[in-house]
Amino acid sequence: MNRNLIHGLMVTLLLISSAYAVKVGEPAPDFQATDSNGQMHKLSSEHGKFVVLEWHNNGCPYTRKHYESGNMQRLQKDWTSKGVVWFTVISSAPGQQGYVTAQQENEYLKQMNASPTAALLDPQGEVGRLYSAKTTPHMFIINPAGVLIYDGAIDDKATTEQADIAGAKNYVSQALEEAAAGKPVGMPTSRPYGCSVKYAH
Amino acid sequence: MLNRSCIRWPGVFFACAVWLVIPVFGFPKNPADEHVQLELISEQNAVVPGKELWFGIRIDLQDGWHTYWTNPGDSGEAARIDWHLPAGYEAGAIQWPYPERLSTPPFADYGYQHQVLLMVPVRPPAGLKEGQTQKIGALVRYLVCREVCIPGRKELELSLPVQTHAASESRELFEATRSRLPRPVPPSWRISATSRGDEFLLNLRIGKLDKEPEFFPLEAEQIENAAPQEATAIPGGIRLHLKKSKHLLKPASRLKGVIVISPGGGYLLDVPVLQSGRDYTQTRH
Repeated sequence: MNRNLIHGLMVTLLLISSAYAVKVGEPAPDFQATDSNGQMHKLSSEHGKFVVLEWHNNGCPYTRKHYESGNMQRLQKDWTSKGVVWFTVISSAPGQQGYVTAQQENEYLKQMNASPTAALLDPQGEVGRLYSAKTTPHMFIINPAGVLIYDGAIDDKATTEQADIAGAKNYVSQALEEAAAGKPVGMPTSRPYGCSVKYAH
Repeated sequence: MLNRSCIRWPGVFFACAVWLVIPVFGFPKNPADEHVQLELISEQNAVVPGKELWFGIRIDLQDGWHTYWTNPGDSGEAARIDWHLPAGYEAGAIQWPYPERLSTPPFADYGYQHQVLLMVPVRPPAGLKEGQTQKIGALVRYLVCREVCIPGRKELELSLPVQTHAASESRELFEATRSRLPRPVPPSWRISATSRGDEFLLNLRIGKLDKEPEFFPLEAEQIENAAPQEATAIPGGIRLHLKKSKHLLKPASRLKGVIVISPGGGYLLDVPVLQSGRDYTQTRH
């Protein structure tokens, strides 16, 4: 009884503490969400792999900058081909900009030639609020041990202009390259830039 | 109506965007134009050779829309100006009036509603000849948001004659904006900052205040923008409790920002942060 109780308490405490402190260097809080194909994904099931979380709103000019230029798709392709799990997360509430049904999202992915591992639908904003996702895009990276190693912007050019992508330093690729090489991440946080995530009020 | 559906239904956003650039029924070129008007104005009605003058980008926003301060807060982007000036001119930086906190829990942005003037000092060369006409151009890139955000890009122009004397033209607006520019702190103020746990304590020994002051950070990701700034009384003033940003992984060595008191206005703070609990007070030199 005691062991179970203590174990249960510890898990609860871990969940509580993690819910209040999504912080680089600490375990990334677990979540589960359904993707646009109706499949359930659980972060903890991806243990042993790098996981990228990309907050997304297809009407936001900052998101559009990275999709209409093909930049985001390129990143998705490059990194998933190296075994990285890439979750696009949509936390727009129904009626808000960026909210999509599963079918609309699948059409969008096809139209945009996007290839995340999965597009997670989070209309209640549960995953978004758990991670304090602020903007679209807002990027997070979790290492194979389940520790958050990056929380911030996609790159260092906080604009809506596609022309800025060429000269930008991509923080996501940089962090993944460093971490994959066993190095510490040089830039583990940055100010995420973009539109605010359109959570339910 | 059209615009609402464009915004509400992202699927048709692209189609709408394309449609909007077709200038039928007098529809504006840029979707942002419907919600914001920009104008390049000069404080003086003429350029005096070698004498500094002030230009401003006046931004008039439709009700409900806002644009951003130099540190936009949790989302958004500050406006940028690329000047196209005749040879020999030097343009300074945008003088940002202190902003207001635009709160949309769980986030907060810093920006402006209704109207803002982005003032810039400009120095023309001394060798200009009276009677010449000076063409001043500015490319402004900006973001306006309501529930949704629209980026804008506007080329603005202004022509001024060169004269030996100039009169003020838009003095009221420039003066009103100057009163909102952060000033250096008065010599009598004693201000210090301490790092304690997950907060910064900003100690403002600045006498009695009628209203709680508000701190606007100049550096992104130092404090949690949306966290309440609790004020407690200390001898000779007030202490603001500022929650540290979770993105702050290394100790911050300085706190830079604007403190806004009422009445009084905005003051520019730049104080070292003491890492221990000791109360160290910096006086202004």
